[in-house]
Amino acid sequence: MDGSEFVVLDSISLNVDEGNFASIVGPSGCGKSTLLNIIAGIETHESHEGGSIQVFPKSGAESTPRIGYVFQNARLLNWLTVEGNIQFVLEAQKIPRDTWDGQVAKYLEMVGLEGQEKNYPLNLSGGMQQRVAIARALAIEPDVLLMDEPFSHLDEITARKMRFDLMEILMRAKPTILFVTHDLGEAVFLSDQIYMMSTKPARIFKEISIDIPRPRQPEDPVIFDLEKDLVREFFRVLEAQE
Amino acid sequence: MIEVYGDPASYIVVAQTLLRIFEGLVICMIIGMVLGLLMGLERNVEAFFDSWIMVLLTFPAICWAFLSVLWFGFSDIGPILTVVLIVFPFVTMNIWEGTKAVEKELVDMATVYKADRFLMIRKVYIPMLMPFVFSALRIALSLSWKIILVGEAFAVGSGVGQKLIYWFEDTRVDMMLAWGVSFMIFMVVIDLVVFRSWERRTFAWRHQIAN
Amino acid sequence: MSTRVRGIGLRIGSIFVMLGIWWVTAIWMNDVEILPGPVLIGKTIATNLVTLGPEGQTAYFHIGITLGRTFIAFAAAMLAGIGIGLAMGLRKVFEHSLMALIPLMLTMPTILMVFLAVLWFGFNEVGSLVAVVGVVTPFVAVNMFEGAKAMDKSLLDMAKTFKAPRRMLIQKVYLPMLLPYIFSAFRFGFGITWKIVALAETFGIKYGIGYMFFFWFEQFIMEQVLAWIIMFVVLMLILEHGVFARLESKAFAWRPSHSL
Repeated sequence: MDGSEFVVLDSISLNVDEGNFASIVGPSGCGKSTLLNIIAGIETHESHEGGSIQVFPKSGAESTPRIGYVFQNARLLNWLTVEGNIQFVLEAQKIPRDTWDGQVAKYLEMVGLEGQEKNYPLNLSGGMQQRVAIARALAIEPDVLLMDEPFSHLDEITARKMRFDLMEILMRAKPTILFVTHDLGEAVFLSDQIYMMSTKPARIFKEISIDIPRPRQPEDPVIFDLEKDLVREFFRVLEAQE
Repeated sequence: MIEVYGDPASYIVVAQTLLRIFEGLVICMIIGMVLGLLMGLERNVEAFFDSWIMVLLTFPAICWAFLSVLWFGFSDIGPILTVVLIVFPFVTMNIWEGTKAVEKELVDMATVYKADRFLMIRKVYIPMLMPFVFSALRIALSLSWKIILVGEAFAVGSGVGQKLIYWFEDTRVDMMLAWGVSFMIFMVVIDLVVFRSWERRTFAWRHQIAN
Repeated sequence: MSTRVRGIGLRIGSIFVMLGIWWVTAIWMNDVEILPGPVLIGKTIATNLVTLGPEGQTAYFHIGITLGRTFIAFAAAMLAGIGIGLAMGLRKVFEHSLMALIPLMLTMPTILMVFLAVLWFGFNEVGSLVAVVGVVTPFVAVNMFEGAKAMDKSLLDMAKTFKAPRRMLIQKVYLPMLLPYIFSAFRFGFGITWKIVALAETFGIKYGIGYMFFFWFEQFIMEQVLAWIIMFVVLMLILEHGVFARLESKAFAWRPSHSL
């Protein structure tokens, strides 16, 4: 975005409570990934009407929030072992060395990869690599965990398993998650809140709370019905725009 | 050729040449890697130095050989300086391109996790650059040993290069070829032996294929 | 200020810094035999261009000779290289028979090649021509060989299904696909040729820029040695970046420009 005024995102307001799973759902190109990148600090935002991003960290004080990020591609450093990859972010976040072994073991176990510490990423399947990425993000015990369509590059069967496992992780570690996806079913299954986003300009037009108790079953008809409603809602809004 | 290698004094000559090549290479690689990395990371550094590199690339070896004689007389500095000044731009360019080609995705990931510059260079840039360093070293070696001969022929009184020009001036093609070809073979063998096995070991993590 | 302007500014600035460092070092050393300053060199170059040099020839004479040798030798090497390279790419017979020879020629040090060429063919134009051809042809050949191998078969098949006649195939499909390889061989090959001619002239072939290098070197007259080196380098830079770069961008106008 240089020179010309090109409003990608327009007055977005999100509120995620601690321990909650919030999804942002929208069609491709609506800027949801951009939003995540801005929060993560890898894209800059020019706030014209004074936008602000406030994350209130667990530590309570106004320190910079700790952010974990799981990308669409695992983005592991292939020349480091699985444990090396986790240690990398622990070092980056200046977490004391003596806690490292414990953290690595704990979170690898949580994602179902115990014993894989000394393995190299290229020896792992796509799903396993993504699990390492999740373990990596969790290991720093972030204030916010950002996830950008993390399962979209996996085959459907692996993706389903990963979603289920993510739900179980949620119940154990209780991170605060901001999850971006274009898949409504996925969003309904996983989230406590869904923010629905449209394009041109990108804005959030609806917020929905999902109150289905956990653990949720993927074949639960309530989930299907909810998904159908949301799809209808989307079409309504998209048609109204044309 | 047997005439040449039967004589133990010949080995000293070859050793002298090899030593010079080694010294030149080390200096080249250090300057080249540092400068290449800086140029790849910082736009300003890149803009400043790229014209210098371009100019250096046009200099023929013989010019440096002559200049170093005028400056330092007939000494070791001649061939080494010649090699360094001609080869380090190649190394720099190689590393520079490599640094710029570094995968943005991984750098972004490290940025999100707030890795500081030092950690980034250590754990992200340098491992990613190793293949480039490797190929730069190989190219540097193949250029260096040929250039050192020019330097030795004109700027110093010893080494294989000096033997070449000596026999040239004596119009003894047979002797010239004896020295020249045998040295060529020697360098090719070094290239094959050293680099192949080294590559296999350093890049072990690559050869493993995902299940 | 925009990145582009800053880039150009820095580049110009770096040239001034180069000159500045040279100037200051020259004053500090205060010894014309070791390091004459840029001003003196500038004057020397100017004088060279205007007056007659030793043995009564102008500077342009020498430059002309070197250029002439370079262009002819380069043309010969390019033609031979392209011919051989394509032959190797298109017919297995050539590939197998020449494949063994090429690495050998490529490994041979330039200086050895020049010595051999000159001893076998004489201290004259033929000698320098052979030297250049010996070094540059294998290089160009390898380049073209890669180009021939890399020819996109799918595009060729497409043209054939439309029953394009042979001449059209060559002109509109083969040639453009090979052009990048030709150009890169051109760029690199010219640079090498230039240096080989200078080297050959340095020891024995009469007249030319290399000859002047050696002439003044023998007399230990630093200003002239530096003056001629600078003239050589500047000329080369103008040719490589001015002329060739311009040609190249015209030839590849259809490619999207890479913003840097």
